[in-house]
Amino acid sequence: MTTRSIIISQIQQVAAEQKKTLAPLTDDLSLLDSGLDSLCFAILVARLEDAIGVDPFTASAEVKFPNTIGELIAFYEHVAA
Amino acid sequence: MDNVIVTGASRGIGLAIARKLASSGYDVTAVARRTSDELEAAIAAGKGQAAGALRFAALDLAQIEAMPEFVRQARRDRGPIYGLVNNAGIGTEGLLATMPNSQIEALLRLNNLSPIVLTKYVVRGMMAEGRGRVVNLSSIIASTGYNALSVYGASKAAMIGFTKSLAREVGRLGITVNAIAPGFIDTEMTRGLDDAQRKRIADRSALRRLAEAGDIADMAAFLIGETGRNITGAVMTVDAGSTA
Ligand SMILES: NC(=O)c1ccc[n+]([C@@H]2O[C@H](COP(=O)([O-])OP(=O)(O)OC[C@H]3O[C@@H](n4cnc5c(N)ncnc54)[C@H](OP(=O)(O)O)[C@@H]3O)[C@@H](O)[C@H]2O)c1
Repeated sequence: MTTRSIIISQIQQVAAEQKKTLAPLTDDLSLLDSGLDSLCFAILVARLEDAIGVDPFTASAEVKFPNTIGELIAFYEHVAA
Repeated sequence: MDNVIVTGASRGIGLAIARKLASSGYDVTAVARRTSDELEAAIAAGKGQAAGALRFAALDLAQIEAMPEFVRQARRDRGPIYGLVNNAGIGTEGLLATMPNSQIEALLRLNNLSPIVLTKYVVRGMMAEGRGRVVNLSSIIASTGYNALSVYGASKAAMIGFTKSLAREVGRLGITVNAIAPGFIDTEMTRGLDDAQRKRIADRSALRRLAEAGDIADMAAFLIGETGRNITGAVMTVDAGSTA
């Protein structure tokens, strides 16, 4: 599975568990409009650390959360590479 | 068996908690800078028993940078972490007016920064699992005050604030966060008290005695077990009635 597909499927799983309705997941969708709240993102980061083996928010000194789905995926692809 | 990490478990209250949890069937990782004869004896005594397991893991909790890797390694080795007991702490005494700033900083680092950051990394895993228990060691000093313990008192009160807000944050995910506020317990931390002081504290308590490390361990086990499922954001006082 690619980093992208892992992230997308985890987003869908977290949304389902937390009973959130997701907007269509396009790259330019703002995370704020995705339907996930901050707690969902915290769960997502924890799950992705297990699935991908990295936590870019701990690995990098500057911790600016990405704005869009595309940025989020690029963020992980960048660290995983 | 569910994994529980107990910090400061080489002696005193932490060791009592680790022992109790292991004998209740948990897989316990006892964290401290170095092991101790008592901890090694408890580990040896537990070997071959049907109950849970007890093992030692060395970590200097003042090394904040080491925490992410420590937690990752623990998860890799043992699987998801179900419980975290933030017990390690120092009780440096001193009048505020003359306490060296370096000591103030070291105290706040170990009693606040360390448990907060350790919890950050452990609670993420709990969030991913949708279950977990965090128990923080506060103290009755957080609310009563005691001469020459202002910095310590501040650090223990901080753990109550931390407990309550984090409980709100992660409650939806089935994770509970509670604090235990012990009264004076006979440990290395309180060895500075002489017999007369100890007697005075005991005489002032409703039960006319001091609570013991084992009592704190029982409370921790209660909160971590199924018994604690509907308790969160609470401060459980165990002090033989010192503050009654
Ligand atoms: N005793 C009391 O009357 C009392 C009352 C209220 C609350 N409490 C609270 O209960 C908790 C335990 O107290 P205690 O009396 O059992 O203390 P203690 O006997 O002094 O034991 C402290 C434990 O913390 C560990 N520790 C200290 N510094 C550490 C570091 N930098 N990294 C890792 N581990 C470290 C020690 O192991 P190493 O030195 O080997 O690292 C030891 O296992 C504390 O949070 C304290 O504030 C105690």
